[in-house]
Amino acid sequence: MATTQTQTLMRCESRYFGTLEYHADSIMEFPDGIPAFEHERRFLAVRQPINAPLVFLQSLADPNLCFATLPVQHACPGFRLHMTPEDRAALGFSGPRQPLIGRDVLCLAILSFEEHAPPTANLLAPLVVNLRTQQGRQAIQVDSRHSHREALPLREAACS
Amino acid sequence: MRRRAGESILIGDDIEIQIMHIGESRIKIGISAPRAVPVSLKEVRLVESENRAAAQLRSADALRGLVERLADGNGSVRK
Repeated sequence: MATTQTQTLMRCESRYFGTLEYHADSIMEFPDGIPAFEHERRFLAVRQPINAPLVFLQSLADPNLCFATLPVQHACPGFRLHMTPEDRAALGFSGPRQPLIGRDVLCLAILSFEEHAPPTANLLAPLVVNLRTQQGRQAIQVDSRHSHREALPLREAACS
Repeated sequence: MRRRAGESILIGDDIEIQIMHIGESRIKIGISAPRAVPVSLKEVRLVESENRAAAQLRSADALRGLVERLADGNGSVRK
């Protein structure tokens, strides 16, 4: 367990939220970036009560870059990870077992909003963040049961 | 085209795809190609374009509607 310590409050600019104040422990680091954004390494996890359970990932380098994400258990209850051994090792999990969502890792599905279409979640390649190190990567799943544009379980169609 | 482990396929003069190992549900292949030819999983391309689309985050209004419907339909899952 981390000991309580005084942390410096930092600030960053964002197009959607204006000036954000944050502590270092809200930073998620993606050492390899994510596909198409390989140079974006550091994101701030923004959680707002009004938008719960959404988690916004605001780039610390680019105020204009922000992803809306949803913890996978909300996008698809019962979702289980199927990461390659390479992705697991890169996240610091060297054993043969998949890390557990909620205990070992935070797992977020990036959302897409297309005009005149319901929003979708990328469950083919969720963002997986090691809860101990706060390091993450976008891990393409090997079971391919899920798509990169999966419908969300909204009121009309509950995903049980 | 049918290949066994150890056999290869050539594409043009300088791209070779070799079947290295055939497992129960996956095969391991080796690819040699010129540096100028990018080699990637198809899924990586899908994810790239999906990430680009997702980066076009628009107004908060779309989000508001989404959150309400999620909260309504998924109340028991929320912690």
